[in-house]
Amino acid sequence: MMLPAVGFVAVMVIFPFGYALWLSLLDYKIGQTLTFVGIGNYKALLADEQFWNGLRLTFILYAGALVLQLVLGVALGLLLHRLETLKGLIRTVMVSPFMLPPVVVGMMSIVVLDPSMGVANYLLKSAGLPTSLFLASTDFVIFTVIMIDTWQWAPFVALIILGGLQSLPTRVYEAAAIDGAVGWRQFVYITLPLLGPTILTAAVLRSVDLLRFFDVIYITTQGGPGYATSTLNIYAYRKGFEFSDIGYASALMITLSTIVFGAVLVFAQLRRKVAW
Amino acid sequence: MRGVLGRFAMGVQIVILMIVLFAPIAWMIVSSFKSRVDITQYPPQLLFTPTLENYQQLFVRTDFLENTLNSFYVAAGSTLLGLALAVPAAFAISWHRMTWPATLTLFARMAPGTLFLLPWFIMFSNIGLSGTHAALIITHAVITLPIALWTMLPHFDGLPRELTESAQIDGCRSHQILLRIALPVVMPGLIVATILSFIFSWNYFLFALVLSGISSKTAIVASFNFIGEGVTNWGTLMAAATVIALPPIVLTFMIQRRLVSGLSFGAVKG
Repeated sequence: MMLPAVGFVAVMVIFPFGYALWLSLLDYKIGQTLTFVGIGNYKALLADEQFWNGLRLTFILYAGALVLQLVLGVALGLLLHRLETLKGLIRTVMVSPFMLPPVVVGMMSIVVLDPSMGVANYLLKSAGLPTSLFLASTDFVIFTVIMIDTWQWAPFVALIILGGLQSLPTRVYEAAAIDGAVGWRQFVYITLPLLGPTILTAAVLRSVDLLRFFDVIYITTQGGPGYATSTLNIYAYRKGFEFSDIGYASALMITLSTIVFGAVLVFAQLRRKVAW
Repeated sequence: MRGVLGRFAMGVQIVILMIVLFAPIAWMIVSSFKSRVDITQYPPQLLFTPTLENYQQLFVRTDFLENTLNSFYVAAGSTLLGLALAVPAAFAISWHRMTWPATLTLFARMAPGTLFLLPWFIMFSNIGLSGTHAALIITHAVITLPIALWTMLPHFDGLPRELTESAQIDGCRSHQILLRIALPVVMPGLIVATILSFIFSWNYFLFALVLSGISSKTAIVASFNFIGEGVTNWGTLMAAATVIALPPIVLTFMIQRRLVSGLSFGAVKG
């Protein structure tokens, strides 16, 4: 009974992966003759300024959003854990952002964050704060994307953390209270270590999505202004579908996939270490 | 005293959190009812005469109704295909206590979607499927299959083994056991798997961006095109956003409690 599913994955996932690997060894541009270049595309990649730019942006986006979402997620999780009333309503509001289609989040961001007519800048100005070009600013756009993704996914991390907090053994807290561990000390020495596996689970789920983050970026900026949001995934897409450079785009995508799998393996190892 | 202050501080934090999370969504919905004049007002107005002209514009002047129907066909089709593949597989995986087929599907969850696009594009062109609903249903099933499989697994694992074993002794074949005995018991899980699959297929952007044709364009891709073409004003854009946001939000309400464990691929219970 597993056969249809395994067959489907083989045809739609494993075979295309092998095919992409093969394409990455070719010099294959639409409308030109096809030649085998071996690791030529990968060598070209190392000399490509936009590849390093993409790698840098991928890393900034990944590290920035991950840290922000984990810190906020833990803080919000602790807050929700103490909550006694209105749980249903608050949960409903919490899940809304991450169940919205990314294209909706993108359109909403374009309208709210518009530099001249958007309500965000109007509120900033009214509060006497500096305004921002947001998605139109070459320097700030990647942080705008981090902000948008954090708005959408920090609540998800918070709900995972909340699930973890609710399953912590209360005996440990009773024992710790007797030993005088309360407040901040209790959080650092007891809650945080016990939450370790839960936090890592959230980190793996967010890592996979953040490293290959595509939709909201492409919808709001298409990788621009210039190349200011052309992360590896976006850059690979642009190479493949805007410049029809299929071999080179495939090499970029294989490189990115390797990074994602690497990150997942590292987290899997870490998770084994913090298990209790 | 400390208790009262603490509660007050907590209330304030919760209110701020709710505003930050909900205000952009509310702004989107409110803007979709603003007239062409009201939406370009600066400073942005909160009080205005609501109008349905944006929705009218959207459904009369563009193909948005057809796009929405396409989205529905693709989401429903890929949900059914995903379930048809995933449910028997999850049952067998749970029964035989084998994990590798489940791990294999995680590969689809981890690899960047862009990786598959070029090979798929070439594959579908070769068999004449590019631009069809079928191509989108098949590719979206790559999203729905792992979701359905991992949502169903814990439910099948939770079945008492005596239940299925006694059916086996009575001479039931494995597909009969699945259909007649196991499925009715895991119905709640099946509902969650169906809803999650539908939402994720409905929301998915990248595959349809490249693989849909004029007649199979989804509402998600159509809205993305609205942004670039400039044929629509902000009000119509927000009307489109509100329409596509509606199905996932409504469906989410139905399975709230099980949502997070479903989305974490069994890593989180709750």
